[in-house]
Amino acid sequence: MNIPRSPALLALAALAATPALSNMLVPPGPRTGIANSRLSATPASEWNRLSHTDGKFTEVWTIDGDQLDKVTFFGGVARGKALLREVDRKHHPLPTVKASMLITDIPVLLETTYRIRGARQMTIDTQEPAMLGGHKAIRFTYHFTLDDEVRRKGEGLGALVDGKLYLVTYEAPALHFFDKDVARYRALAASITL
Amino acid sequence: MGQFRIVRGAVAFAALLVCAPLAAQEKTGIKPGFALRPGTARIVLMRPTILVGAQSIGGVNEPNADWTRQARENIALALRQAQANVGNAMVEYDEGASGEGPLATEYAQLFGALADSVIEYQFFAGNRLPTKKRNDSFEWSIGADLGKLRSLAAADYALFITTRDDYGSAGRKVLQMVAAMGGVGLKSGDHTGYAGLVDLRTGELVWLNADRQMGGDVRTAEGASKRVSQLLEGFPGKSSAAVNGAP
Repeated sequence: MNIPRSPALLALAALAATPALSNMLVPPGPRTGIANSRLSATPASEWNRLSHTDGKFTEVWTIDGDQLDKVTFFGGVARGKALLREVDRKHHPLPTVKASMLITDIPVLLETTYRIRGARQMTIDTQEPAMLGGHKAIRFTYHFTLDDEVRRKGEGLGALVDGKLYLVTYEAPALHFFDKDVARYRALAASITL
Repeated sequence: MGQFRIVRGAVAFAALLVCAPLAAQEKTGIKPGFALRPGTARIVLMRPTILVGAQSIGGVNEPNADWTRQARENIALALRQAQANVGNAMVEYDEGASGEGPLATEYAQLFGALADSVIEYQFFAGNRLPTKKRNDSFEWSIGADLGKLRSLAAADYALFITTRDDYGSAGRKVLQMVAAMGGVGLKSGDHTGYAGLVDLRTGELVWLNADRQMGGDVRTAEGASKRVSQLLEGFPGKSSAAVNGAP
Protein backbone atom coordinates (compact mmCIF):
# COMPACT_ATOMS: atom_id res chain seq x y z
CA MET A 1 0.00 0.00 0.00
CA ASN A 2 1.17 3.55 -0.58
CA ILE A 3 2.62 5.42 2.31
CA PRO A 4 2.09 9.09 1.55
CA ARG A 5 4.29 10.48 4.28
CA SER A 6 8.04 10.31 4.39
CA PRO A 7 9.74 8.19 7.05
CA ALA A 8 11.51 11.31 8.27
CA LEU A 9 8.21 13.03 9.03
CA LEU A 10 6.94 9.89 10.69
CA ALA A 11 10.12 9.76 12.72
CA LEU A 12 9.59 13.27 13.99
CA ALA A 13 5.98 12.49 14.83
CA ALA A 14 7.03 9.35 16.61
CA LEU A 15 9.72 11.26 18.47
CA ALA A 16 7.19 13.77 19.70
CA ALA A 17 4.94 10.97 20.85
CA THR A 18 7.64 8.98 22.59
CA PRO A 19 8.21 10.36 26.06
CA ALA A 20 10.61 7.73 27.37
CA LEU A 21 13.74 6.47 25.69
CA SER A 22 14.51 3.25 27.47
CA ASN A 23 12.52 0.12 28.01
CA MET A 24 11.62 -0.49 31.63
CA LEU A 25 11.35 -3.57 33.79
CA VAL A 26 7.87 -4.37 35.07
CA PRO A 27 8.43 -6.40 38.25
CA PRO A 28 5.82 -8.73 39.69
CA GLY A 29 3.26 -6.98 41.87
CA PRO A 30 0.56 -4.31 41.61
CA ARG A 31 0.92 -1.68 38.90
CA THR A 32 -1.40 1.28 38.49
CA GLY A 33 -1.96 3.93 35.86
CA ILE A 34 -1.26 1.64 32.93
CA ALA A 35 -1.46 3.50 29.61
CA ASN A 36 -1.98 6.71 31.59
CA SER A 37 -5.42 5.48 32.59
CA ARG A 38 -7.32 3.88 35.43
CA LEU A 39 -6.13 0.47 34.26
CA SER A 40 -4.33 -1.47 36.97
CA ALA A 41 -2.93 -4.99 36.91
CA THR A 42 -0.88 -7.34 39.04
CA PRO A 43 1.60 -9.27 36.92
CA ALA A 44 2.77 -12.48 38.53
CA SER A 45 6.09 -12.42 36.70
CA GLU A 46 8.43 -9.97 35.04
CA TRP A 47 7.62 -8.11 31.83
CA ASN A 48 9.35 -5.41 29.83
CA ARG A 49 7.50 -2.17 29.16
CA LEU A 50 8.59 -0.78 25.80
CA SER A 51 9.60 2.84 25.52
CA HIS A 52 7.65 3.29 22.32
CA THR A 53 3.90 3.04 22.05
CA ASP A 54 1.39 2.62 19.25
CA GLY A 55 -0.49 5.74 20.24
CA LYS A 56 -1.53 8.09 23.01
CA PHE A 57 -3.81 5.55 24.68
CA THR A 58 -1.50 2.57 24.56
CA GLU A 59 1.21 0.87 26.59
CA VAL A 60 3.11 -2.15 25.31
CA TRP A 61 4.58 -4.96 27.39
CA THR A 62 6.66 -7.83 26.07
CA ILE A 63 8.94 -10.67 27.08
CA ASP A 64 11.03 -11.27 23.95
CA GLY A 65 10.23 -8.16 21.89
CA ASP A 66 7.02 -7.02 20.29
CA GLN A 67 7.69 -8.96 17.06
CA LEU A 68 7.57 -12.14 19.15
CA ASP A 69 5.06 -11.39 21.88
CA LYS A 70 3.13 -8.22 22.50
CA VAL A 71 0.64 -7.21 25.14
CA THR A 72 -1.03 -3.89 24.35
CA PHE A 73 -3.09 -2.03 26.90
CA PHE A 74 -5.55 0.46 25.45
CA GLY A 75 -6.40 2.71 28.39
CA GLY A 76 -9.64 4.63 28.16
CA VAL A 77 -9.90 5.47 24.47
CA ALA A 78 -12.46 8.28 24.39
CA ARG A 79 -15.25 8.88 21.89
CA GLY A 80 -13.96 10.19 18.59
CA LYS A 81 -10.48 8.78 19.18
CA ALA A 82 -8.73 5.97 17.30
CA LEU A 83 -7.10 2.96 18.92
CA LEU A 84 -3.72 3.61 17.33
CA ARG A 85 -1.74 6.64 16.28
CA GLU A 86 -2.98 8.09 12.99
CA VAL A 87 -0.39 7.74 10.24
CA ASP A 88 -2.36 9.07 7.28
CA ARG A 89 -5.52 10.66 8.59
CA LYS A 90 -6.32 12.32 5.26
CA HIS A 91 -6.23 9.25 3.00
CA HIS A 92 -6.50 6.35 5.43
CA PRO A 93 -8.26 7.55 8.58
CA LEU A 94 -8.59 5.05 11.38
CA PRO A 95 -12.02 4.23 12.79
CA THR A 96 -12.83 5.82 16.12
CA VAL A 97 -14.74 4.95 19.27
CA LYS A 98 -18.41 5.91 18.83
CA ALA A 99 -20.97 6.88 21.42
CA SER A 100 -23.28 4.20 20.05
CA MET A 101 -20.70 1.42 20.38
CA LEU A 102 -21.52 -1.85 22.04
CA ILE A 103 -18.91 -4.21 23.42
CA THR A 104 -19.62 -6.51 20.48
CA ASP A 105 -18.29 -3.74 18.21
CA ILE A 106 -14.84 -3.83 19.85
CA PRO A 107 -13.44 -6.73 17.77
CA VAL A 108 -14.65 -5.06 14.56
CA LEU A 109 -12.99 -1.80 15.60
CA LEU A 110 -9.67 -3.60 16.07
CA GLU A 111 -10.09 -5.56 12.84
CA THR A 112 -10.81 -2.46 10.78
CA THR A 113 -7.96 -0.55 12.40
CA TYR A 114 -5.49 -3.31 11.61
CA ARG A 115 -6.67 -3.69 8.03
CA ILE A 116 -6.21 0.03 7.42
CA ARG A 117 -2.76 -0.12 8.99
CA GLY A 118 -1.74 -2.80 6.50
CA ALA A 119 -2.30 -6.09 8.31
CA ARG A 120 -3.26 -8.85 5.90
CA GLN A 121 -5.74 -11.66 6.45
CA MET A 122 -6.93 -9.97 9.63
CA THR A 123 -9.82 -12.12 10.78
CA ILE A 124 -11.78 -12.38 14.01
CA ASP A 125 -12.02 -16.07 14.89
CA THR A 126 -14.06 -16.31 18.08
CA GLN A 127 -16.04 -14.03 20.41
CA GLU A 128 -17.58 -14.68 23.81
CA PRO A 129 -18.91 -12.72 26.78
CA ALA A 130 -16.40 -12.09 29.56
CA MET A 131 -15.57 -9.74 32.43
CA LEU A 132 -12.83 -7.13 32.58
CA GLY A 133 -12.12 -5.59 35.94
CA GLY A 134 -15.64 -6.32 37.10
CA HIS A 135 -17.30 -4.90 33.98
CA LYS A 136 -19.11 -6.69 31.18
CA ALA A 137 -16.63 -7.35 28.42
CA ILE A 138 -15.93 -9.35 25.29
CA ARG A 139 -13.15 -11.86 24.80
CA PHE A 140 -12.16 -12.55 21.22
CA THR A 141 -9.44 -14.24 19.21
CA TYR A 142 -8.06 -13.32 15.80
CA HIS A 143 -5.21 -13.88 13.40
CA PHE A 144 -3.35 -11.72 10.92
CA THR A 145 -0.12 -11.36 8.94
CA LEU A 146 2.22 -8.37 8.69
CA ASP A 147 4.78 -7.55 6.02
CA ASP A 148 7.24 -10.06 7.49
CA GLU A 149 4.82 -12.82 6.36
CA VAL A 150 4.77 -14.33 9.86
CA ARG A 151 1.36 -15.73 10.76
CA ARG A 152 0.30 -14.23 14.08
CA LYS A 153 -2.48 -15.05 16.50
CA GLY A 154 -4.15 -12.59 18.82
CA GLU A 155 -6.47 -12.56 21.79
CA GLY A 156 -8.30 -9.55 23.20
CA LEU A 157 -10.43 -8.63 26.19
CA GLY A 158 -12.32 -5.35 25.96
CA ALA A 159 -14.99 -3.34 27.77
CA LEU A 160 -16.71 0.03 27.58
CA VAL A 161 -16.73 1.88 30.87
CA ASP A 162 -18.14 5.38 31.27
CA GLY A 163 -18.07 5.84 27.51
CA LYS A 164 -14.40 4.92 27.19
CA LEU A 165 -12.89 1.81 25.69
CA TYR A 166 -10.54 -0.37 27.72
CA LEU A 167 -8.88 -3.22 25.92
CA VAL A 168 -5.93 -5.54 26.40
CA THR A 169 -4.59 -7.65 23.56
CA TYR A 170 -1.92 -10.32 23.23
CA GLU A 171 -0.33 -11.06 19.87
CA ALA A 172 2.45 -13.45 18.90
CA PRO A 173 3.59 -15.64 16.01
CA ALA A 174 1.38 -18.70 15.72
CA LEU A 175 4.46 -20.92 15.70
CA HIS A 176 5.90 -21.42 19.19
CA PHE A 177 5.54 -17.91 20.61
CA PHE A 178 1.77 -17.60 21.01
CA ASP A 179 1.49 -20.75 23.10
CA LYS A 180 4.68 -19.98 25.00
CA ASP A 181 3.28 -16.99 26.85
CA VAL A 182 -0.51 -17.04 26.39
CA ALA A 183 -1.08 -18.37 29.91
CA ARG A 184 1.03 -15.56 31.33
CA TYR A 185 -1.04 -13.05 29.34
CA ARG A 186 -4.33 -14.58 30.49
CA ALA A 187 -3.24 -14.39 34.13
CA LEU A 188 -2.25 -10.77 33.58
CA ALA A 189 -5.58 -9.92 31.90
CA ALA A 190 -7.47 -11.63 34.71
CA SER A 191 -5.69 -9.41 37.25
CA ILE A 192 -6.84 -6.15 35.63
CA THR A 193 -8.94 -3.75 37.67
CA LEU A 194 -10.69 -0.61 36.51
CA MET B 1 3.86 -3.31 3.12
CA GLY B 2 1.95 -2.02 6.03
CA GLN B 3 2.24 1.04 8.12
CA PHE B 4 3.09 -1.09 11.15
CA ARG B 5 6.62 -1.53 9.80
CA ILE B 6 6.94 2.07 8.68
CA VAL B 7 6.06 3.33 12.14
CA ARG B 8 8.51 0.89 13.72
CA GLY B 9 11.27 2.17 11.48
CA ALA B 10 10.33 5.73 12.25
CA VAL B 11 10.47 5.16 15.97
CA ALA B 12 13.84 3.47 15.70
CA PHE B 13 15.10 6.33 13.55
CA ALA B 14 13.79 8.86 16.03
CA ALA B 15 15.49 7.06 18.87
CA LEU B 16 18.74 7.09 16.94
CA LEU B 17 18.43 10.82 16.39
CA VAL B 18 18.26 11.60 20.06
CA CYS B 19 20.21 8.78 21.63
CA ALA B 20 23.66 8.46 20.15
CA PRO B 21 24.73 5.42 22.22
CA LEU B 22 22.12 3.38 20.38
CA ALA B 23 24.25 3.69 17.29
CA ALA B 24 26.83 1.45 18.94
CA GLN B 25 25.21 -1.68 17.60
CA GLU B 26 26.57 -5.19 18.03
CA LYS B 27 26.30 -7.46 15.03
CA THR B 28 27.01 -10.92 16.36
CA GLY B 29 25.69 -12.83 19.33
CA ILE B 30 26.52 -16.26 20.66
CA LYS B 31 25.01 -18.22 23.49
CA PRO B 32 27.46 -18.12 26.42
CA GLY B 33 29.38 -21.35 26.64
CA PHE B 34 28.38 -22.52 23.17
CA ALA B 35 31.17 -24.03 21.12
CA LEU B 36 31.08 -26.12 17.99
CA ARG B 37 34.10 -28.26 17.24
CA PRO B 38 34.86 -28.91 13.60
CA GLY B 39 33.69 -32.26 12.28
CA THR B 40 31.26 -32.97 15.09
CA ALA B 41 27.89 -31.84 13.83
CA ARG B 42 25.50 -32.16 10.93
CA ILE B 43 24.01 -28.85 9.88
CA VAL B 44 21.01 -28.36 7.63
CA LEU B 45 20.94 -25.19 5.58
CA MET B 46 17.30 -24.12 5.56
CA ARG B 47 15.90 -22.56 2.41
CA PRO B 48 17.08 -18.93 2.53
CA THR B 49 14.54 -16.13 2.63
CA ILE B 50 15.64 -13.68 -0.07
CA LEU B 51 13.78 -10.55 -1.10
CA VAL B 52 15.03 -7.81 -3.40
CA GLY B 53 13.29 -4.60 -4.41
CA ALA B 54 13.68 -0.94 -5.20
CA GLN B 55 13.38 2.01 -2.88
CA SER B 56 11.40 4.92 -4.30
CA ILE B 57 12.29 8.55 -3.79
CA GLY B 58 9.92 8.66 -0.84
CA GLY B 59 11.53 5.64 0.78
CA VAL B 60 8.80 3.15 -0.13
CA ASN B 61 10.12 -0.32 -0.95
CA GLU B 62 8.73 -2.08 -4.02
CA PRO B 63 9.51 -5.80 -4.60
CA ASN B 64 11.28 -6.70 -7.85
CA ALA B 65 10.68 -10.28 -9.02
CA ASP B 66 13.57 -10.38 -11.50
CA TRP B 67 16.12 -9.10 -9.00
CA THR B 68 14.80 -11.50 -6.38
CA ARG B 69 15.15 -14.46 -8.78
CA GLN B 70 18.71 -13.41 -9.68
CA ALA B 71 19.62 -13.03 -6.03
CA ARG B 72 18.19 -16.43 -5.13
CA GLU B 73 20.25 -18.13 -7.82
CA ASN B 74 23.42 -16.22 -6.95
CA ILE B 75 23.14 -16.73 -3.20
CA ALA B 76 22.30 -20.42 -3.59
CA LEU B 77 25.46 -20.87 -5.66
CA ALA B 78 27.57 -18.90 -3.21
CA LEU B 79 26.23 -20.91 -0.29
CA ARG B 80 27.05 -24.18 -2.04
CA GLN B 81 30.60 -22.96 -2.56
CA ALA B 82 30.84 -21.92 1.10
CA GLN B 83 29.48 -25.17 2.51
CA ALA B 84 32.79 -26.99 2.22
CA ASN B 85 34.46 -24.42 4.44
CA VAL B 86 32.16 -24.22 7.45
CA GLY B 87 34.01 -26.90 9.40
CA ASN B 88 31.09 -29.31 9.74
CA ALA B 89 28.93 -31.35 7.40
CA MET B 90 26.32 -29.09 5.86
CA VAL B 91 23.48 -30.19 3.61
CA GLU B 92 20.67 -28.26 2.02
CA TYR B 93 17.20 -28.73 3.44
CA ASP B 94 15.20 -31.44 1.73
CA GLU B 95 11.64 -32.07 2.83
CA GLY B 96 11.67 -35.49 1.17
CA ALA B 97 8.32 -37.21 1.57
CA SER B 98 7.57 -35.46 4.85
CA GLY B 99 5.37 -32.74 3.35
CA GLU B 100 6.97 -30.35 5.83
CA GLY B 101 8.18 -27.84 3.24
CA PRO B 102 5.52 -25.19 4.01
CA LEU B 103 6.16 -25.52 7.73
CA ALA B 104 9.90 -25.20 7.17
CA THR B 105 9.22 -22.03 5.18
CA GLU B 106 7.12 -20.73 8.05
CA TYR B 107 10.01 -21.35 10.43
CA ALA B 108 12.33 -19.49 8.07
CA GLN B 109 9.96 -16.50 8.18
CA LEU B 110 9.79 -16.78 11.95
CA PHE B 111 13.57 -16.74 12.07
CA GLY B 112 13.46 -13.33 10.35
CA ALA B 113 11.21 -11.99 13.10
CA LEU B 114 13.42 -13.56 15.76
CA ALA B 115 16.55 -12.00 14.27
CA ASP B 116 14.79 -8.62 14.02
CA SER B 117 13.98 -8.85 17.69
CA VAL B 118 17.54 -9.78 18.65
CA ILE B 119 18.86 -6.80 16.71
CA GLU B 120 16.37 -4.37 18.17
CA TYR B 121 16.32 -5.59 21.75
CA GLN B 122 19.76 -7.15 22.28
CA PHE B 123 22.27 -5.81 19.78
CA PHE B 124 21.19 -2.19 20.29
CA ALA B 125 22.60 -2.02 23.80
CA GLY B 126 20.70 1.16 24.67
CA ASN B 127 17.42 -0.47 23.68
CA ARG B 128 18.02 -3.82 25.36
CA LEU B 129 15.09 -5.34 27.19
CA PRO B 130 15.70 -5.21 30.95
CA THR B 131 15.08 -8.95 31.28
CA LYS B 132 17.76 -9.59 28.63
CA LYS B 133 20.44 -7.55 30.37
CA ARG B 134 21.44 -10.03 33.02
CA ASN B 135 24.71 -11.92 33.05
CA ASP B 136 25.44 -11.13 29.41
CA SER B 137 22.63 -13.46 28.54
CA PHE B 138 21.79 -14.47 24.98
CA GLU B 139 18.54 -16.31 25.49
CA TRP B 140 16.55 -16.58 22.31
CA SER B 141 14.68 -19.55 20.93
CA ILE B 142 12.62 -20.45 17.91
CA GLY B 143 10.99 -23.30 19.80
CA ALA B 144 11.93 -26.93 20.37
CA ASP B 145 9.23 -28.14 17.97
CA LEU B 146 11.49 -27.25 15.04
CA GLY B 147 13.73 -30.17 15.98
CA LYS B 148 10.76 -32.52 15.87
CA LEU B 149 10.33 -32.11 12.11
CA ARG B 150 10.90 -35.47 10.45
CA SER B 151 12.79 -33.77 7.66
CA LEU B 152 15.37 -32.56 10.21
CA ALA B 153 15.63 -35.80 12.16
CA ALA B 154 19.21 -36.52 11.16
CA ALA B 155 20.52 -33.03 11.86
CA ASP B 156 22.03 -31.35 14.91
CA TYR B 157 21.67 -27.73 13.86
CA ALA B 158 19.66 -25.67 11.39
CA LEU B 159 21.26 -22.68 9.69
CA PHE B 160 18.82 -19.97 8.65
CA ILE B 161 19.67 -17.23 6.17
CA THR B 162 17.59 -14.12 5.49
CA THR B 163 18.49 -11.27 3.18
CA ARG B 164 16.38 -8.26 2.28
CA ASP B 165 17.71 -5.71 -0.17
CA ASP B 166 16.10 -2.56 -1.47
CA TYR B 167 18.16 -0.59 -3.95
CA GLY B 168 17.69 3.14 -3.98
CA SER B 169 16.20 4.54 -7.18
CA ALA B 170 17.97 7.29 -9.09
CA GLY B 171 15.59 9.81 -7.57
CA ARG B 172 16.29 8.51 -4.11
CA LYS B 173 20.04 8.86 -4.66
CA VAL B 174 19.61 12.43 -5.85
CA LEU B 175 17.51 13.16 -2.79
CA GLN B 176 20.22 11.62 -0.64
CA MET B 177 22.84 13.94 -2.17
CA VAL B 178 20.63 16.99 -1.76
CA ALA B 179 19.91 16.06 1.82
CA ALA B 180 23.63 15.57 2.48
CA MET B 181 24.35 19.06 1.13
CA GLY B 182 21.84 20.34 3.64
CA GLY B 183 23.53 18.44 6.43
CA VAL B 184 20.82 15.80 6.67
CA GLY B 185 21.74 12.13 6.60
CA LEU B 186 19.38 10.12 4.42
CA LYS B 187 19.72 6.45 3.57
CA SER B 188 19.42 5.26 0.01
CA GLY B 189 18.71 1.56 -0.04
CA ASP B 190 18.42 -1.10 2.64
CA HIS B 191 20.66 -4.15 2.77
CA THR B 192 19.82 -6.48 5.59
CA GLY B 193 21.29 -9.90 6.15
CA TYR B 194 20.84 -12.42 8.96
CA ALA B 195 22.46 -15.81 9.50
CA GLY B 196 21.49 -17.81 12.55
CA LEU B 197 22.31 -21.25 13.89
CA VAL B 198 19.64 -23.08 15.87
CA ASP B 199 20.31 -26.08 18.12
CA LEU B 200 17.71 -28.63 17.03
CA ARG B 201 17.68 -30.38 20.41
CA THR B 202 16.45 -27.27 22.19
CA GLY B 203 15.35 -24.75 19.56
CA GLU B 204 17.80 -22.25 21.02
CA LEU B 205 19.44 -19.69 18.81
CA VAL B 206 23.10 -20.35 19.58
CA TRP B 207 24.70 -17.94 17.10
CA LEU B 208 23.45 -14.99 15.12
CA ASN B 209 25.22 -12.71 12.71
CA ALA B 210 22.95 -9.87 11.69
CA ASP B 211 23.54 -6.57 10.01
CA ARG B 212 21.19 -4.04 8.46
CA GLN B 213 23.96 -2.54 6.35
CA MET B 214 25.40 -5.51 4.50
CA GLY B 215 27.65 -5.25 1.47
CA GLY B 216 27.60 -7.08 -1.84
CA ASP B 217 25.14 -6.59 -4.67
CA VAL B 218 23.19 -9.84 -4.49
CA ARG B 219 21.99 -9.35 -8.07
CA THR B 220 25.48 -10.35 -9.24
CA ALA B 221 27.41 -13.57 -8.60
CA GLU B 222 30.39 -11.66 -7.21
CA GLY B 223 28.23 -9.56 -4.91
CA ALA B 224 26.31 -12.59 -3.67
CA SER B 225 29.60 -14.31 -2.86
CA LYS B 226 30.67 -11.28 -0.84
CA ARG B 227 27.31 -11.24 0.93
CA VAL B 228 27.56 -14.91 1.87
CA SER B 229 31.07 -14.35 3.22
CA GLN B 230 29.72 -11.56 5.40
CA LEU B 231 26.77 -13.64 6.54
CA LEU B 232 29.02 -16.50 7.64
CA GLU B 233 31.65 -14.31 9.26
CA GLY B 234 32.48 -15.73 12.67
CA PHE B 235 30.56 -18.93 11.98
CA PRO B 236 31.08 -21.31 14.92
CA GLY B 237 33.38 -24.24 14.35
CA LYS B 238 35.61 -22.57 11.83
CA SER B 239 37.62 -19.39 11.61
CA SER B 240 36.23 -16.56 9.55
CA ALA B 241 39.22 -16.83 7.22
CA ALA B 242 38.28 -20.37 6.31
CA VAL B 243 34.65 -19.46 5.76
CA ASN B 244 35.79 -16.77 3.40
CA GLY B 245 37.56 -19.37 1.35
CA ALA B 246 41.10 -19.00 2.65
CA PRO B 247 42.98 -22.20 3.50
